[in-house]
Amino acid sequence: MKNVLMATAATLLATTAMAEVNIGNPMAMTGPIPDLNAPIAQAVDLAATHINDQGGMFEAGEAFNIIRADSACDPVAAVDAVTKLINVNGVAAIVGPVCSGAAIAQAESVSIPAGVVTLSVSASSPAITSMEDGTDLVFRAAASDAYQGVALAELAMANGMMDIAVSYANDDYNAAIAEVFVKAYQGMGGTVTANEAHEPNKASYRSEVATIGATSENLALFSYYGSGGITLMRNALETGAFMNFIGADGMLSDELIEQIGAENLMTSTFTTSASDSSTPSFAAWAELADAAGVPASDPFVANGYDATFMMALAIEHAGSADREAIAESLRAIASGPGVMILPGQWAEAKVLLAAGFNINYEGAAGNQDFDENGDVAGNFSKSTIVDGAWAAELIQ
Amino acid sequence: MWEFVNYYFIPGLVLGCIYALGAIGITLTFGILRFANFAHGEIMMSGSYLTWTVMAIAAGAGLTLHPLVAMVPAAVMVILLFLATDRYFYKPFRKEDTIKVVMASFGMMLIIRSAVQVIWGPNQITFVRGIAKPNATLSEITANWGLQIMMPNKHLFIFAGTIVLVIALGYLLNRTRIGKAMRAVSDSPDLAHVTGIDVDKVIRATWIVGGICATAAGVFLVMDTQMLETTMGFRMLLPMFAAAILGGIGKPYGAVFGGLVIGLAEELSAYPWIGTAPLLSPGYKTGVAFAIMVVMLIVRPQGLFKGRSF
Amino acid sequence: MEAYVGYFLYFLSLLTVGGIYAIFALGLNVQWGFAGLFNVGIVGFAAVGAYTYALLTTAGSTFHLGGFGLPLPFGMFMGMALSGVIAGLIGLICIRLRSDYLAIATIGIAEIIKLILKNETDITNGPRGINKIPRAWEHFSETRFYTDWPMSWFGTPENWEAFFDSLPNWYWQPLFAATIILSMYVIYRMLERARTSPWGRMMTAIRENEPAARAAGKDVTRRRIEAFVIGASIMGLAGALFAQHLRLIEPTNTFDPSKVTFLVWVMLITGGSGNNRGAILGAFLIWTIWSASELVISGGIELVENIFSTLDPSILQTRAGFLRMMLIGILMQVILQRYPGGILPEVRPASPKAENDTREPTGETK
Repeated sequence: MKNVLMATAATLLATTAMAEVNIGNPMAMTGPIPDLNAPIAQAVDLAATHINDQGGMFEAGEAFNIIRADSACDPVAAVDAVTKLINVNGVAAIVGPVCSGAAIAQAESVSIPAGVVTLSVSASSPAITSMEDGTDLVFRAAASDAYQGVALAELAMANGMMDIAVSYANDDYNAAIAEVFVKAYQGMGGTVTANEAHEPNKASYRSEVATIGATSENLALFSYYGSGGITLMRNALETGAFMNFIGADGMLSDELIEQIGAENLMTSTFTTSASDSSTPSFAAWAELADAAGVPASDPFVANGYDATFMMALAIEHAGSADREAIAESLRAIASGPGVMILPGQWAEAKVLLAAGFNINYEGAAGNQDFDENGDVAGNFSKSTIVDGAWAAELIQ
Repeated sequence: MWEFVNYYFIPGLVLGCIYALGAIGITLTFGILRFANFAHGEIMMSGSYLTWTVMAIAAGAGLTLHPLVAMVPAAVMVILLFLATDRYFYKPFRKEDTIKVVMASFGMMLIIRSAVQVIWGPNQITFVRGIAKPNATLSEITANWGLQIMMPNKHLFIFAGTIVLVIALGYLLNRTRIGKAMRAVSDSPDLAHVTGIDVDKVIRATWIVGGICATAAGVFLVMDTQMLETTMGFRMLLPMFAAAILGGIGKPYGAVFGGLVIGLAEELSAYPWIGTAPLLSPGYKTGVAFAIMVVMLIVRPQGLFKGRSF
Repeated sequence: MEAYVGYFLYFLSLLTVGGIYAIFALGLNVQWGFAGLFNVGIVGFAAVGAYTYALLTTAGSTFHLGGFGLPLPFGMFMGMALSGVIAGLIGLICIRLRSDYLAIATIGIAEIIKLILKNETDITNGPRGINKIPRAWEHFSETRFYTDWPMSWFGTPENWEAFFDSLPNWYWQPLFAATIILSMYVIYRMLERARTSPWGRMMTAIRENEPAARAAGKDVTRRRIEAFVIGASIMGLAGALFAQHLRLIEPTNTFDPSKVTFLVWVMLITGGSGNNRGAILGAFLIWTIWSASELVISGGIELVENIFSTLDPSILQTRAGFLRMMLIGILMQVILQRYPGGILPEVRPASPKAENDTREPTGETK
């Protein structure tokens, strides 16, 4: 009991020192994907820094404060973390979590009953689209797998891959996107020669690779690079089982180049929900990210920035940190009509909102216009190796 | 046929060697100290992280050390770690129920894993860059004999290392005094005590041998996967227990055999024995070791080589 | 005012989750405290209970088997029953094993259960899990419940909707917490009765001195299996309640042995193994420490950040999460060595002769 009292005292001191806007940020800091998570957290912090440096929140310049908690990609931890964020820290809204399982659990268990808005950074499960029953509190800054899988199938067909083998990590993200991909690909006339799950985090995937390698020279690999994806690719390359590789954003990382070597990745193409790097949004974002040492193109990093920035814009638009008004404001600032706001343009946005203008935030990871379910449409880019690094190209 | 050998059989053997070395430590601890050491996997992992650190420090000073060389100082540190945990966490329960010391080892497992995560961070660390192509000389030689064996250098090192260690172990247990003392304590500690064997010395020797084998297992594992991550330890732990049980508790050769069998079983279970689909869905591959273990526990708890049974 | 409601709700959540863990600990106490069975596969029984409940009570879905829409208490009961059945099967095979072998076997079996739940995607939706699990008391406000019997007997859908709109959105939390505490209490009373009953005394005898018990003609194996099954059913119930608390379950992360199994063991050892009250105390204590420690650590990090402004805060935050686990591990080691009986050591059931005896019970425990 004493611990609780001490803890609440500590947080009271920490959070009520001055008037500030508190946002809860449950992230998967421990758990299965810490290396995927770390740059996303950096992006969230970067957004907060920009906001605070460029005038803070409201007229009084209140601090925009990110309260981070550990959701561990685990429903149990997420529910506990968000309970504390909402009840003890009294946050205005939730930006996060990273994993679909954690996001769904905390939303259904805590944040929807409490009437608090959740804007997930990267949860992509199709289940989130139809999750709500009459409320409008759950949004996400990343496209549902339902879109990316289709985009990937189109990419495969466009690259002339008439048959393909599929291997997916048996976790919620990769299994879902693999399923969508297979359906779409078959619908477009392609042949799926093998479709097998693999357990994440194993030391060797040689037998998996050998089993499906005989069936096709193309591989669709759905896995997190840090949870076995790199190992599987390495095993495939060592044995020469596959010539061509495609996959989704779980694999897209500089770590892949670091560990396998760019020269071995010449025939690999991975997609991610990012916008064309030639759009002004992404260019603005890349500049900011590079200056701050945040990897601009790593999976979901740009989405992390967008989610945080949008939440701040929404609260600024609503005029107060009142929980009820945020959902409506979130929709208002995300879509047109309105003056276009790019990543990093907090000062401009503040001025416009104060003067009563509408704004439309175009995010680094896509235009971030919410549909009626709180989803964003899929804008995808494919990345191939050019000069030893990933180069992205928008898929039309 | 060669696909089977190169892509299923040899990888199974490699995995088997790693399991075997880890299982040796487990079976010795089980036999001599009489408890299942749940922290063994995490110690393996610390061994590999320490090896990497040694290599990184040497690289900072301009030297490039081969993992097998850097393994030596790391093994020393692992042995010290083993001895320290024994002194502070296991020794108090020497005379008490096994349950206490097993719970303590469970706790150590979490403490060591968290410590590694705090010190080195949870991210993956690259151990060796690039992909390993098969050894050209070996391919040529075997091609001349009409065979077609392809193994990268790392696998050759792993096999060689395992063979060396197992031979050394055999020598230790059969030809040296301390080795025979270890076997005596494993069979019956009270009787051994009565004949004047210093049980404490034997216990120390157990941790030392276990530490060397664990470090070797850990280093071979990261040589094979070419990266370090913090979930390695627990992942390996249950198959290693399975190997130790399969071989018979307290029988190091049994552990080696058990390790090879489990490694092969895991890799071969995904082979399309019948038709073109894998025999067992790869999602269940991890379950193979567990299943073998559970079956052994029920059918023949003393293992294949007639170790201790309960 | 809103802050006070917030603290109250957080307190309720501590009661809720602590209560669920207390039920787990009580179940483990039956297996370990009564019968001396070293079950490290708690997570497996929890998963069985949770999934059974989820599959029986969720609405129809394209992702997984469902649509039975059975009443919630029935779902919970079936969760208990199925856990018990599986425990019985496992028990028939494994009960003769010595303690650490049983530990290894139960871990292995729990992992196999999880693998099955993960791979049979047609039934369980595999790694994506089952969501929208109805939560007791809150489920009344869901459309599909109040448009159906028995609620439809008491009012029209519009009436119900208006009624629920008028309640504060957290109306169900005190009721849910109260239900859990009540279940915990009922189980506690039943176990206390069992402990002091002849059955309980026999279990203690078997645990303390098996050969003597056998010589006295007791069917040791059967008693052990009974204890195993009863303990597992209780864990199944806790699993079903857990599913309701989270509203989403999936096989990998929700049922992580280092969180569920290990935490419950720490709770039992800390509180006092062999003692039902100890189990409950340990559960609430450890859960509160676990949950509140995150607040303390974040507060601590902020302090450190203010002092050492050159440190990279995000690294500190990421790694600090692991410190929690390390501290709980160290806590357990300390308790094992210093207070082996736990905070509330086992109390032997009084025998008629002991009542006339003025000696203190030895308070020993394994």
